[in-house]
Amino acid sequence: MIVNGYSRRKTRNAVMMGLCWAAAIFGLSWLLLILGALVWNGIAGLNLSVFTEVTPGPNSEGGLKNAIVGSLILTGLGVAIGTPIGMLAGTYMAEYGRHSRITNYIRFVNDILLSAPSIIIGLFIYQVVVVPMSNFSALAGALALAVIVIPVVVRTTEDMLLLVPLPLREAAAALGLPRSHVLLKVSYRAARAGLITGVLLAVARASGETAPLLFTALSSQFFSLDLFKPMASLPVIINNFAGKGYANWQQLAWTGALLITLSVLTLSIAARILSAQRTQK
Amino acid sequence: MTDVMLDARPKAAGAIAGAGLPEKITLRNLRFYYGDHLALKTINLPLYDHRVTAFIGPSGCGKSTLLRVMNRMYDLYPKQRAEGEVLLDGENILSPKQDLNLLRARVGMVFQKPTPFPMTIYDNIAFGIKLYENLSKSEMDGRVEKALRGAALWNEVKDKLNANGMSLSGGQQQRLCIARTVAIKPEVILFDEPCSALDPISTAKIEELIDELKAQYTIAIVTHNMQQASRVSDYTAFMYLGELIEFGETENMFMSPTQKRTQDYITGRFG
Amino acid sequence: MSDHTVKAYDKDLEILARKIAEMGGIAEKMLGDSLEALTAFNVDLARGVVASDPRLDGLQREVEEKAVLTIARRQPMAVDLREIVSAIRISGDLERVGDLAKNIAKRVIKIAPEARLPRAIIGLRHMGELAMMQLKDVLDAYAQRDLERSRSVWTRDADLDALEDSVFRDLLTFMLEDPRNISFCTHLLFCSKNIERAGDHATNIAETIHYLVTGSNLPMDRPKGPTAGVQPDASAK
Repeated sequence: MIVNGYSRRKTRNAVMMGLCWAAAIFGLSWLLLILGALVWNGIAGLNLSVFTEVTPGPNSEGGLKNAIVGSLILTGLGVAIGTPIGMLAGTYMAEYGRHSRITNYIRFVNDILLSAPSIIIGLFIYQVVVVPMSNFSALAGALALAVIVIPVVVRTTEDMLLLVPLPLREAAAALGLPRSHVLLKVSYRAARAGLITGVLLAVARASGETAPLLFTALSSQFFSLDLFKPMASLPVIINNFAGKGYANWQQLAWTGALLITLSVLTLSIAARILSAQRTQK
Repeated sequence: MTDVMLDARPKAAGAIAGAGLPEKITLRNLRFYYGDHLALKTINLPLYDHRVTAFIGPSGCGKSTLLRVMNRMYDLYPKQRAEGEVLLDGENILSPKQDLNLLRARVGMVFQKPTPFPMTIYDNIAFGIKLYENLSKSEMDGRVEKALRGAALWNEVKDKLNANGMSLSGGQQQRLCIARTVAIKPEVILFDEPCSALDPISTAKIEELIDELKAQYTIAIVTHNMQQASRVSDYTAFMYLGELIEFGETENMFMSPTQKRTQDYITGRFG
Repeated sequence: MSDHTVKAYDKDLEILARKIAEMGGIAEKMLGDSLEALTAFNVDLARGVVASDPRLDGLQREVEEKAVLTIARRQPMAVDLREIVSAIRISGDLERVGDLAKNIAKRVIKIAPEARLPRAIIGLRHMGELAMMQLKDVLDAYAQRDLERSRSVWTRDADLDALEDSVFRDLLTFMLEDPRNISFCTHLLFCSKNIERAGDHATNIAETIHYLVTGSNLPMDRPKGPTAGVQPDASAK
């Protein structure tokens, strides 16, 4: 009897295992398909002129130089603005306001912001920055990306600092270290890898966003470094070029998509490696 | 809980052998609250200078809480407060005027779990010293070596001072923490179950160390290990449900305690 | 006393106490029998005493082993530790009482054929009764952890000492009266010393009981009886 029950359980276990594998393969195969298509189509248009020439008109030669540089500027600026704000907020929540009610409110709002549709953030910045300044600008785009970055960094900073063991903090305090020292020299240090991971993830997130840039940085056919003018960016260019009927635009859209994907992938892997290092210790 | 009754009750720590020794720390009518919960009920107790005092009692009896009052560790958390007096060399450290960082430099603490900082062995020690003193590189090297020697760790780590403190074994990490505490020249060292995470050999090394440290510091140790308390301490305090049940010379406490509850606890007849 | 959390610990202590009780019974019987054999020159009874000694020795060894094992295993504290240390000490005393009884019995076997001087035995009988009472009292005191009773045993030892002195003088007189008494009386002299020694062991046990109950030792100087001019200590040590 016992043996009967056991073999039935074994069979059921095998069936469930099979289903799990099937589901995993199903999910992964789509991912591979997308990646495959991206590489297949994107790599065909990948050449030096992509990096040296600006975006062309319909059916003419060109590259993505202005969009790549624009993306770097927008993302860099967005992260540069968002990270300190997010870190400070996360630090407050984990270190100073850990037991206060306001922290709970902040966390709640932050979580909403984290999952808010990014187009809403774009519209918000449009209203708050673009309309008063009465023109689209790279600055507005960067601000929109900063708003995307902030909740990610807040969340990871708080989580990582909360992971720093209490005894470690107490041990530091027991040596007579002032609170600021405990934070800077011990807590941040212990959470360093996690904090960097958080920022990298935020960068990855910001670099792929299209919607918040549509109403803010807009786009531009020209190479521009002026923060108060519209600026091109890879996601927006892809958005603009992909749907149109011109072969060269479509090719550039594929190539741009490949570039974004590769950079996001690199960042994600870097983040993974960093957090793996943290757990090893 | 009727507070008036508790106040009126005479405490066990009345007549104590060892009276006449200088008291490094004196607890007077100490009461401690976690929010509304009274966790320490009017404790009166001396910590004699250059002696080891052990605190024993079942979990939740307040012995760790008591330790955390002596360096005001509880100040890190809201809703925890102490009443009464804790005199360190005659001065009440519970006074709001007390500088906490200075207090903790004088009253060091070693925790249950070894807590090396995420930095090199050298920096783990130098870190605290830098806060209070401005030393040249060679002076600092000397201090680090002295602290490590004081914690009986020097010979094991002298060739890898730049290795991460986390790379040491549990027992070594704990001795690193002791070295770190000793390095800033405290007057009192509080040990909160320092060996509960260690194997017997590391435990023996820590006990040996405590015995040596007693010559220079006043020591308080919380432990669940009664044999350890009987081995390392000169005085023992038995606590139960936030009360000090009995305090006396360790020898007497473990051979012939005067209170039934003490006897029941140390002979394993509880509950 | 409430029980230990670890039941097996209670059992260990219980076994020790039971073994001590058994030893007490045997030692008491051996001493009583040897004294009776002495007064009646009963050789059979004396042989019985000699035969029961190995059992007492064996028990003492068992107590020691059990005690050492319990110390190693349980790391006893306070009253438990005193309990175990007391068991070791008391078992040693009882084993010695048995040896002394055996020694009396052996002498009875030797002197029975040439028994003489009935009046010489009277003093020894008094001593024996007193020693028996001491032993019985102290064993009861141990069983009941009775501090009063053990203390009275402790003070009464002086009476036994005084009695031994007078027996010593009597026997000396008999030997001076008639040299043919010398061999016989010398044996009796040793018997009286043995009885006095048994009383000393009862006193030791009383001291142990005091330590067991209070955790402190009785003062070193026990009240001594009137000491005679001659101290026959050399024969004892």
